[in-house]
Amino acid sequence: MTGAYFAGVDAGSTYTKAVLLDSDSKPVTTAIDMTGINIVSAIDKVYHAMLAKAGVNEREVGYVVGTGYGRYKVTFGNSQVTEISCHAKGAYTLFPKTRTVLDMGGQDTKAIRINGRGEVVDFSMNDKCAAGTGRFIEGSARALGLTLAEVGDISMRSTKPIKISATCAVFAEMETQEQLAWGNKLEDILYGVHVSIASRSIGLLRRVGIEQEVTFTGGVSLNRGMVKCVEEQLGSKVNTNPMTMFCGAMGAAEFAREKAMVAAREVARP
Amino acid sequence: MPQPAAKLTFKDLDRAKYMQGGMIKEYFDSLTNSRANGTKVAYAFVMANPIELLKSFDFLPLYPEITSLNISYRGGAPPLITLAEEAGYSTDACGYVKMGVAATMPGASTTIGNVPGPDLLLLSYSGCQIYIHWWEQFHYQAGVPIVLLDIPYVRDFEGRVPRHDIRYVTGQLEEVIARLEKASGKRFDENRLKETVRLSAEAWDLWRQCLEMGKLRPTPFDAYFESIYYMAPITFARGSQKCVDFYRFLLEELKSRAEHGVGPTAEERYRLVFEGVPNYPFFKKFWGLFAQHNARSVASTYPKVAGLVDTGAFRLNPDKPLESLAEYMIHAYCNWNMPLRTNLIEKYVRDYKADAVILHSIKSCRSFSMGEGDMREYLAVEKGIPTLLVESDHVDPRYYSEAQMKNRVDAFFETLDLRMGAK
Repeated sequence: MTGAYFAGVDAGSTYTKAVLLDSDSKPVTTAIDMTGINIVSAIDKVYHAMLAKAGVNEREVGYVVGTGYGRYKVTFGNSQVTEISCHAKGAYTLFPKTRTVLDMGGQDTKAIRINGRGEVVDFSMNDKCAAGTGRFIEGSARALGLTLAEVGDISMRSTKPIKISATCAVFAEMETQEQLAWGNKLEDILYGVHVSIASRSIGLLRRVGIEQEVTFTGGVSLNRGMVKCVEEQLGSKVNTNPMTMFCGAMGAAEFAREKAMVAAREVARP
Repeated sequence: MPQPAAKLTFKDLDRAKYMQGGMIKEYFDSLTNSRANGTKVAYAFVMANPIELLKSFDFLPLYPEITSLNISYRGGAPPLITLAEEAGYSTDACGYVKMGVAATMPGASTTIGNVPGPDLLLLSYSGCQIYIHWWEQFHYQAGVPIVLLDIPYVRDFEGRVPRHDIRYVTGQLEEVIARLEKASGKRFDENRLKETVRLSAEAWDLWRQCLEMGKLRPTPFDAYFESIYYMAPITFARGSQKCVDFYRFLLEELKSRAEHGVGPTAEERYRLVFEGVPNYPFFKKFWGLFAQHNARSVASTYPKVAGLVDTGAFRLNPDKPLESLAEYMIHAYCNWNMPLRTNLIEKYVRDYKADAVILHSIKSCRSFSMGEGDMREYLAVEKGIPTLLVESDHVDPRYYSEAQMKNRVDAFFETLDLRMGAK
């Protein structure tokens, strides 16, 4: 093996994330930044920021796997794996009892069912529609003049949730403003937004079949209001922790570690 | 002494595709020139049409489904769809309908040339409710008669058709003859119909043999993407010697491919069964999503929309031309009930030893795509067959998202690898 570290870079539609693992699959460090319009430079920036943070030299990284929509733009990557397999692998690495993964990102939401080895058995995604994705919350937050970090916590104060239509992320922005104009409380509207998104994701989960434990990944898994809504609608707890938003990159790094080990075995074979 | 045969490449054995391209061009030229030549054009549907009967009256059949898909394949869909939407059609309305209607509107130009209006509208109603309204629209536009043939659905879950259904359709075909005589100005010639049916039957049998080459491992051809090229002559040119010659050539070419061990991808890593209408505006890109994984289709349903020849559901018989045509028309693919369609896909997986099923659902054709979600559920959950459902449209490029489609396909092959490795 050439290096002691393994990296995963997840170039998503909204954020680019990177995770560095050691040879025991333990996260060494992470990095994140907006993807923006120049995906190649965002990838480069995030990757090098992560190395600098860890004080690791590029040569010490044995294998890099790219994932996310921009996976083929990770030009220094050794191979690419789709984020569906990576989120499954990442969730399984973080919570080995995971059998169902709900990944809610900026532009898509995926339900993934995995087996006892962390391998994908079935998956389902939203199609050509942002209702039920992070973009839906972002739009509603913008319409209400709030930041993404605030909306989840504010929604948790709701006592009388307002019903927001779940059919269109663009119309939902207008709807939230209307609700505000009609004198409804901010927290009740926001809670309605979260309920609306969660209901779409539960539909996706049912399509692949819900098996315990459920791990919630992607950027939206940091939103406590959304975690609460998903748990309420599922009727059970979901796994999340500060690393679940890095799950795609985490899985990619774990694939990198496994691939490097296979390669090393092949080299060692006489 | 015979010389050892030189090793042939895929390119050497990919001539049938160009041959059918030439046939299509010739066919479109004949459509463009029909007015000048005084040839009468009869509009017909791909599914369940008695083209043999039309040809025996010298009608030149025009299929708006085929003209629309070819226009779309050549990048010409957007202006026609826009024209139809400006005229009031909804974005959700069938792309074939919008393009078919717009192509004959005053001032429309298409990527396949001038599409002549109809002299006769043959409405063989089967499987698709929209057909009726589409032909009504042409009727209003062109003011020419509609000849309606009502085709009963296949209602039995085993695919059995009662005798009275066949008699019902045969009776309608007998009645239609008088109207075709009037519209064409020509007398019905039964011997000519019999000869056309005989030539059709010969082509159908050769095409069936071609399709069954997919059972070989590796398959010498892609039974979805390449069959979509190969299915053209049986759709518009059957009942002619040229069509018979084409399938005889194709069968030999596919046999040579098998002999020389060449196929449409570098190797055969996955064997797939496809269901659904393809995406014509991005046809080659769509194919590439699967080909880059060295996946080949071994069997598929869509190339059988012109006739479910490999199921044994019909057999044209020159001695009973109208009755055997009636049977053929009843067994149109979208005229089959959902259990029959789903069981056929499952049978393909068994008979062609496929690894997975791909369902391509199209947004603007509900008669084809309806029930595909349940199909996926049944195949994946009940039967344990890896099944991927992806969605776009057959002609409207606005519904195709390359990144989303690629993501799903790539992820599906990643999971398929694991499942095949576990076998």
